[in-house]
Amino acid sequence: MDNKDFADRLKRLEDRLGAATAARVERVSPGRSKYTQSSLAWRMVIELVVGMALGLGIGLGLDALVGTRPLFLVVFALLGFAAGVRTMMRTASEVRQGRAEGALARTSPNDEAARGRNGD
Amino acid sequence: MAVDGEIEGGGINIHPMDQFMLEPLFGEGPVHWYTLTNATLWMALTVIAASLLMVVGARGRALIPSRAQSAAEMTYGFTRKMVADVAGREGLKYFPYILTLFLFILFANLLALIPASFAPTSHIAVTGILALAVFVSVTAIGFAKHGLGFLKLFWVSSAPTVALRIVLAVIELISYFVRPLSHSVRLAGNMMAGHAVFKVFAGFAGALGVGAILPILGIVAIYGLEVMVAVIQAYVFAILTCVYLNDALHPGH
Repeated sequence: MDNKDFADRLKRLEDRLGAATAARVERVSPGRSKYTQSSLAWRMVIELVVGMALGLGIGLGLDALVGTRPLFLVVFALLGFAAGVRTMMRTASEVRQGRAEGALARTSPNDEAARGRNGD
Repeated sequence: MAVDGEIEGGGINIHPMDQFMLEPLFGEGPVHWYTLTNATLWMALTVIAASLLMVVGARGRALIPSRAQSAAEMTYGFTRKMVADVAGREGLKYFPYILTLFLFILFANLLALIPASFAPTSHIAVTGILALAVFVSVTAIGFAKHGLGFLKLFWVSSAPTVALRIVLAVIELISYFVRPLSHSVRLAGNMMAGHAVFKVFAGFAGALGVGAILPILGIVAIYGLEVMVAVIQAYVFAILTCVYLNDALHPGH
């Protein structure tokens, strides 16, 4: 009986704590969320460009070694582009799952509160 | 190098990139690898500032912390939680390294906001070394933990044919190298852009006379933004390190 009472009290405390935490979710200032979103966009662009540049560099290097000027350049430019897209898509999936840096760009406080409640 | 923004009549003479020049601290002459430069000075100040906060500030170990102690404890707790969230409990073993990285970049970025200071993190040579260190250590951890099994990270076993898997392995390998590069380009680019914009606005203020109030207000606004950029970029660098660490600890996607 006592145990049940105690569990009930604990449950009520949990509920109150949950409600209080949900109410206290800080509103992310619009300036910050805009900055983090544009920062993510820049990250994707940089990844795309760096991938392409890396592919071109590898292609040129291999060509200089083997002496087949356009062959590896073309092949690795395409592979580098694909690698850039691959990295970018990975970043995009981070954003979608709200993981790592993507969590920063999540803005809506309702979202956060809902996730907090579901997590319990 | 220095971008000359000379406009006729107004007498505007802006050199936004001059602030990134490496200069010897003592005397003149060429900069060798052992020359003490302004970059050396500001990196040393960064290390001193970070140590002051974490070692001296947290030394009291009071139950009711002083301001410095609670700032140090919050930084510690925040970073630790980030490592645990992103890289899991196994990643906590590498928490000291990530906290060091975070503090170094954070203080380098913030100290660079002091007028007439020097921003080491705006140099890709500095951020490149930081990212390279992360890259090498994460790769080493991956191989140490999983041996050759770490290479499974590059082998997409869900692809139907072997030929396709080889092509995908090359793509994955390149994309593995893209990450540290973009990591370093991003930090350096963010810092350099912000500081160059300060100089451009300051150049306008110098040429406008009474109208200088507008660019000065602009500088105030950008300064606020730059404080945010300094903190967020340090955070992003640390959190990406955690993401790579997580990939190395659990290579099976």
